[in-house]
Amino acid sequence: MRTPFLKCALAIIAKDLRAEIRSRELLSVMALFALLSVLVFSFALELDRAARAEAVSGVLWVTLIFASLLGLNRSLAQESDQGNLDALLLAPVSRSAIFVGKFAGNALFTGIVGLVLLPLMTVLYGMNTLHTGVIVTTLVGILGFCSIGTLLATMTVRTRAREALLPIALLPVALPFLLTAVRATKGVLSGAPEWQVWLQLLAGITVIYLVLCLLLYGYVVEE
Amino acid sequence: MTRIAELEPAPQPRMLRVLTALTALGFLATLYLGLFVAGTDIEQGEIQRIFYIHMPSFFGAFTAFGATVVGGLLYLARKNDAWDRIALAGVEVGLAFALINLLTGSIWARPIWNTWWTWDPRLTSAAVMCLIYAAYLMLRAGIDDLSRKRNFMSVYGIFAFVSVLTTLFIIRIVPETIHPVIVGASPQNAQGSFEATSGVVMALVPSLLLWLTLMPITLMWHRYRLETRKEASDRLMLQALSD
Amino acid sequence: MKPTRIALILLWLLLIGGGVGGSDHEAAVPYYRASGFNVPILEGWANQSGADFAQFALVEAQATIRTARVSAADGLAAAQSELSELLGLDIGQPVYSNKVNLADGTWQVLVFDIDDATTASVMSRRADSEHVVITFVERNPAARIVLLTTTQADDTLEDAAPEIATAVEAIAGITMNELSPAENITLPSGEWIVYASDIVTAMGMVFGNDSYMALREGEPGDFAALADAYNRTLLGFFITPDNSRYLALGLAAVFLILGTLVFSFGWRARSLRQGMELIEQLAREED
Repeated sequence: MRTPFLKCALAIIAKDLRAEIRSRELLSVMALFALLSVLVFSFALELDRAARAEAVSGVLWVTLIFASLLGLNRSLAQESDQGNLDALLLAPVSRSAIFVGKFAGNALFTGIVGLVLLPLMTVLYGMNTLHTGVIVTTLVGILGFCSIGTLLATMTVRTRAREALLPIALLPVALPFLLTAVRATKGVLSGAPEWQVWLQLLAGITVIYLVLCLLLYGYVVEE
Repeated sequence: MTRIAELEPAPQPRMLRVLTALTALGFLATLYLGLFVAGTDIEQGEIQRIFYIHMPSFFGAFTAFGATVVGGLLYLARKNDAWDRIALAGVEVGLAFALINLLTGSIWARPIWNTWWTWDPRLTSAAVMCLIYAAYLMLRAGIDDLSRKRNFMSVYGIFAFVSVLTTLFIIRIVPETIHPVIVGASPQNAQGSFEATSGVVMALVPSLLLWLTLMPITLMWHRYRLETRKEASDRLMLQALSD
Repeated sequence: MKPTRIALILLWLLLIGGGVGGSDHEAAVPYYRASGFNVPILEGWANQSGADFAQFALVEAQATIRTARVSAADGLAAAQSELSELLGLDIGQPVYSNKVNLADGTWQVLVFDIDDATTASVMSRRADSEHVVITFVERNPAARIVLLTTTQADDTLEDAAPEIATAVEAIAGITMNELSPAENITLPSGEWIVYASDIVTAMGMVFGNDSYMALREGEPGDFAALADAYNRTLLGFFITPDNSRYLALGLAAVFLILGTLVFSFGWRARSLRQGMELIEQLAREED
């Protein structure tokens, strides 16, 4: 008798949330990193207003991706180190439900960081990043990035140099998200109408990656 | 001492030797066609001849990376180690071909576009493709457990192929690329200097076929045999140490 | 199917591919290609080209267009030596001289009145250690034809009217008021405007930031066709770039990468063998 898919996924999300509410370990690290990164970029790119407007979408996405990398590493390391992943695998649970649970948790935390980051950047960079287009792009981009991120973090967490290997394995594969998301964000901010095309492209890639991840996750966790 | 007998490399099958000879001959023959038989492009000059390697090498990488996807899928389905070795061979050979593609393109761009590199969508995508497969090799080296390694790398190889398809089709998605779509349809032909570029097809088609089939197959076969021997040797080494 | 047979079929496909590709070898040649330059072949003109120069003549108009590379100290000397080779005469000083920057370099524009019948218009520029000279000569006693190129005074304009005015004054010594209003004509080389009077016809077109002009005094004849042919030669002229060093570099890169790949196969096989020999030795010592 298998635990129903949704129930299982929700249980994993609830477990991650509960652990996070108690320890506040993940979110605080990710948010602090994101804040520092935005500040460092703002000092490093001490540019005139026009150049700053050009850079803003790049800064947003680079910050989000690195914050998300931190979170992914920690989230999967917790599972693996405490033997939780092995326990989950022993339980009569669908592999894709495990994926959905872990993925939703990671996407949720990164999404929160993203939503905190947007008003912050509006203040620091003097650009209105609280546009619906930017918010939608941010959320879709995070969904896509976290799907492949969860899958690859599950792999690298069981390798020798795991903290170093995750970015090496993930960044090139996730570049399609970075490229389309940066273009879409830039388009919204500069008022170029083709941002919707980029958003559609981003959504398309996200769907493809999500499906592939769901199908292949079982092979990554099985022994 | 039977296990030591395993150490002797199996003699190359006759087929492999034939293929190797054919590939070497074919490589020299297509080089000859491209360098001496095809006419000089009157607008681009001699550098245009690099195209007879540049485009075919991408398709060679396509074949090799395609073998990685097929190998990965079949490994996940059948759990036969041979498929994983094919996938690995595909990555190494494909990466070499992709680098050839990237470097020859860059060297062509220098006199024609007056720059070694530009962040054009297609060029960017091709560079990302190389990075992904380099990451494959690094990731693979970082995993100790053999069956876990095979599982992980099969999955990664399937994902990596997205970058190959992106490079191939990016012109349809992002039309602002300056990369020529088909050299045959470039303006100098519209102007009518066909005789000057005659032999383009004659030099290109054999080269394309060679890089699409013989080159990747032969090199991958050699790499496959090497991996088989390496795995056997690792096993024996482990045994010898545990004895 | 036997693998050997597949390989043979592949090789066969290779050869077939070559054969099919080679069959359209006999295409028309609209370009004359000499060592170091290319010019369009002028249809309807007699082709008198040699191995190292392109020469086209329109006999009924007594006009010749010739392109060649000449070794000479400067553009003027190159033009003079070209003209004396073409006409077999000693060439004096030009009646008009000017410089113009085109996309492919700085050209010297020269006009020579050689004798009562003969006028020559020359464009000349440096190419490596030599000069490229494009010459237009007409030997019709009933007409004097001059062809000029100058940079536009105002490059936002789309017609050559101001430059035509300057040229008409310099060459024919009359003002624009004496000519009829502009008339537009389309020729293969572009959109021209034409001004005419009883004795002078002036026409011009704009390409890039430059005005290309033609002036005729005397009988009209095939004036427009001559101007058009000369301009097609000028605009169609280009030198095939010499970039064979980059080709060598590219080939070196190909051989380097393939060589590294094959070498690494060999190297890894060798170290495997050495490792195995070590194990063998250990096993023997154990026994």
